[in-house]
Amino acid sequence: MDEQEQLKDFSSITDVDRLIHEPARLAMMALLYVVECADFTFLMNQTGLSWGNLSAHMSKLEESGYLEVEKSFKGRRPNTNLRLTDAGRKAFHVYRSRMKQMLDGLPELDQ
Amino acid sequence: MSSQLDLKQIERRAFRSTHQDGLWDMYFGLVIICVGVFTYRPPEGYSLLNLVLNMTALCLAYGLFWAGKKFITIPRLGQVRFGEARRKRGRTLAIILSAVVLVQVGVLLLTVAGWLNEDFAAKLNTFLNTKNGLMDLTVAIIGSLFVGPSMILMAYFNDFPRGYYIAIMTALAVFLTIWLNNLIYPLMIGALVALPGLILFVIFLRKYPLQQESKNNG
Repeated sequence: MDEQEQLKDFSSITDVDRLIHEPARLAMMALLYVVECADFTFLMNQTGLSWGNLSAHMSKLEESGYLEVEKSFKGRRPNTNLRLTDAGRKAFHVYRSRMKQMLDGLPELDQ
Repeated sequence: MSSQLDLKQIERRAFRSTHQDGLWDMYFGLVIICVGVFTYRPPEGYSLLNLVLNMTALCLAYGLFWAGKKFITIPRLGQVRFGEARRKRGRTLAIILSAVVLVQVGVLLLTVAGWLNEDFAAKLNTFLNTKNGLMDLTVAIIGSLFVGPSMILMAYFNDFPRGYYIAIMTALAVFLTIWLNNLIYPLMIGALVALPGLILFVIFLRKYPLQQESKNNG
């Protein structure tokens, strides 16, 4: 009975942070959450996103204040370094807790 | 529960990807060959030239490793700074390795002191020379124990699974070279360590082509 009541309550689903919920951004956020910082090339290799895709998602996350982007030169090569801001870390933590809570509450299917 | 596990896997996969260029394997393969040449005792006697050549070869091996990381790996794979937990493991390893080196220096000093004590040296010589090859076997065991356990610790704290294989092979190379005094062992074992590294390096170059300069700047 409790499980059925939980299923009726969809508010936890609709309340998730949609900015993070998008798969490409979720991959970026998850990776940056477990490291201190990473450059654009590393993120591109790890997530498998194309340059344009990653660049677009990076801009969105930066605009929302979740991501700090630092552009510099390493020798003569341009380098873009990314790290999560405190707000980004907190948002990811909340997102993760909410998803975990929601998925853990789902009933097991009878086989 | 599962989300925590996934994040750990993401972090571990990212960390291990930094070791997939095969450079560590090739570097240690060269180090094994250098150490083998260093521990080999030529029939005409050990000379300063052995030491100079060995140090030069070791510096060259490290130089190649450093240049490979800087000019080949980083431009292709990118750069990452891992979290506090990884740095803490690194600091723990540094402390443990310092203690291991202190123990090794202590053993070395005790050995020197023992040889300088004529009575003790005579007794030790008599004991070790009673059986043919016992002296070389004893030194070979001590030599491999100097190398093996500390390299296993390095593999564990650096989360580098191939490091266990490298540690065992290095200890084996030191043991066989000292015991049997033949250069073929370090050369063969060094090649067995370096070869997988070379294969990984080729795979790495194919998997991660060099990005255009403009594309490094997102």
